[in-house]
Amino acid sequence: MSESSQGSDAEPEPESASESGFLEQYSTRVLTAAVTVLAVVALLVGGWLFPDTIVGTFADVISSENTLSAALRLSVPIAFAALGGIFSEKSGVINIGLEGLLIISAFTAIYVTEVTGGVWIGFGGGVLASTLLALLFAIVTIEFRADQIIAGLAVWLIALGLAPFASQVIYGGPNTPTVPTPGTISIPLLADIPFFGALFSASPSVYLLFLAVGLSWYVFERTTFGRWVRASGENPKALDTAGVSVARVRYAAVLLSGVLAGMGGSALSLDLGQFTGNGPTMVNGKGFIAIVAYLFGNYNPIGAFLSTMLFAGLDAMQTVLQLQGIGIPRQLIRITPFVVVIIVLALVGRTRIPEAAGEHYESGEE
Amino acid sequence: MKIPSRARAVLERLAGASATERILISTAALVLSILLGAVLVLVAGRMTTCTAGEAVYYFGTGFCYDPVVVFDRLFLGALGDPFSGGWSPNGQFSVTLRETTLLLFTGLSVALAFRAGIFNIGTQGQMVVGGMATAVLVLWASSLVSGVVGTFLLVPFGVLVGAVFGGLYGAIPGFLKAYADANEVITTIMLNFIATGVTLYLVSGAFKDPESAANQTVPLPEYAQFPTVLFGGRQDFSLVALFFGVVAVGALYYLLEHTAFGYDVRTSGIQPDAAEYGGVDAARTIVASLTLSGALGGVAGAMYVMMILGSFQSGVPSYGFDGITVSILAGNNPLGVGFAALLFGVLKSGTTVVQFATDVPPQLVGVLRGLIILFVAMPEFFRLVGKRVTDTGSKVVATDGGAPGGDDDE
Repeated sequence: MSESSQGSDAEPEPESASESGFLEQYSTRVLTAAVTVLAVVALLVGGWLFPDTIVGTFADVISSENTLSAALRLSVPIAFAALGGIFSEKSGVINIGLEGLLIISAFTAIYVTEVTGGVWIGFGGGVLASTLLALLFAIVTIEFRADQIIAGLAVWLIALGLAPFASQVIYGGPNTPTVPTPGTISIPLLADIPFFGALFSASPSVYLLFLAVGLSWYVFERTTFGRWVRASGENPKALDTAGVSVARVRYAAVLLSGVLAGMGGSALSLDLGQFTGNGPTMVNGKGFIAIVAYLFGNYNPIGAFLSTMLFAGLDAMQTVLQLQGIGIPRQLIRITPFVVVIIVLALVGRTRIPEAAGEHYESGEE
Repeated sequence: MKIPSRARAVLERLAGASATERILISTAALVLSILLGAVLVLVAGRMTTCTAGEAVYYFGTGFCYDPVVVFDRLFLGALGDPFSGGWSPNGQFSVTLRETTLLLFTGLSVALAFRAGIFNIGTQGQMVVGGMATAVLVLWASSLVSGVVGTFLLVPFGVLVGAVFGGLYGAIPGFLKAYADANEVITTIMLNFIATGVTLYLVSGAFKDPESAANQTVPLPEYAQFPTVLFGGRQDFSLVALFFGVVAVGALYYLLEHTAFGYDVRTSGIQPDAAEYGGVDAARTIVASLTLSGALGGVAGAMYVMMILGSFQSGVPSYGFDGITVSILAGNNPLGVGFAALLFGVLKSGTTVVQFATDVPPQLVGVLRGLIILFVAMPEFFRLVGKRVTDTGSKVVATDGGAPGGDDDE
């Protein structure tokens, strides 16, 4: 299998691909990060020197506490989905249906909250719905060897139809009524720190996200299960030989991606108190951005979180810029995150994905 | 990277399946989706409220929606009720053919890319870009000519414009994939969002019809739209456009099966390594097939503008995503796309009839779309079921012990 995967790189030098390819992608990643940091610093310095120009406005926006808190809020669904995507893809199952998992959990969270009156029960309901859909995806891909990309698309399209369908049946329109939100948790004193205070005065989902990022990192790097997941994606044969069922590890990883994406989707809708299901729904591509975020973060939970902050930061900036009435039209500012995703993907296109990702693993015992 | 090798594996598997088996699997997937859809309608009927008189009763339980009525309306309604007398080509049947026409193009668009081993999820965006360009450029050109001559010149011109702009937009993910290794699934989805955003900006600003409240371009004059032949035109259907579509099916079939380019496309879809060894320029094939795929999507956009709306409006229906279903259902075979497009045209057109006759939300077809894709993607499931049904007892059923891997052996 490894020969064919190297050969399909479409580049003429397959032998050196693993060595120089790694260095090359590492440097583009560092380069992109460095350019981002430099641009931010340049804007801040420029804004400090010329406060009355457009550079000054940009600097104000970047250094504003509101931008950081908006970026954190916007990164919650993307980062949760990205964490889920890491588990799934690391185990060898490419989960392109993250978008669908976000949609289904966003709707269910609101529905359950509206029925029971409990925000956290609703949160759990959303997670459950997403996990069930992930289970369906797992059965279809692991048990029935469906193509992972097509099955993932199906998960997305099913959720894209099902959530507005249910909303229409229950509430008579694609948008749900509003429900109470979980509010914000402020940590006294720390919340008063300029700029970074935003880290300590946020929705509970933001704290949950910090926890999830840390835990995911720990599970991957320090636990047996993390090693199994990695082995299942890199060398399922070895894992099988060691007596661990590849199918079970993959089931666990895909279900975990359902749980994590579900937390993201529930947080997305509950923080706003409503699900909107018109067009691409309120999820609006966040699941796909999540995929790029973890590719850019090189499958590292912390890296994925940081690259999510890059996308969410841009999104937050465009919201603030809209409010300030900068001369760029609203519709065009809105597409910046999508454009950036394409640029990032073009730069880090040669990400090394797990060796056995996307392939069905057939246990040797017949 | 891995995606093409994956796509190759799928294609190998699909190619391995005989044509009969493929048709059986598609039919089974369709039937299963409709059955699940019926269950969904029943469940939804329990979750909404209605008076006792409106409810229907199955198994001693009352339901607000009746799946039999829903699917009767969905299929017979879409065909214009051929069994109840008074059938006219002007009715719902022409709506079905209209939807079929657009789905032919979006389905062919997805199928062509798929045959090259590329997942083009961006047909929707390519259609939007092509449609917008057609609306703007044909409007500009319509001031130069008029009358019957105008129609003869403007309609082909509009189709060409749609193809060119859709093709250029399709070339973007092609170049990104060929030269930067960027996964086309993600880039095409992102380009869909970008197409929607940019056209919304243009159509609400520079190209907005000042006399309309909606975000739309100035309507094209009658002579710059597809002429109606035989069918009354009340339902915005043109036989000429359908004819274009049928010709496209034949042309793509010929292109894929009987030309050198088609051979390159098919071999790079099935065996990229062998193709490259055999002298196929992989990068060029990727760019060319995505460009052509985008052009077909762009033509769908041109048809949408010149046949249905008469202008470009923000919020284009999801013909592009339906094209994915059509293509997958057809096993990515151009001739199969013809049948699958008609079938899905029935579903799309029937949706409006269902909406008119019952309270069942139109998003039902969206769910069916996802389910069909899901089932067609798992031929293994049907093979397993088929095996269980045909050779029961010939094998000792000892997998109940739950031994890991036990479910895998057949």
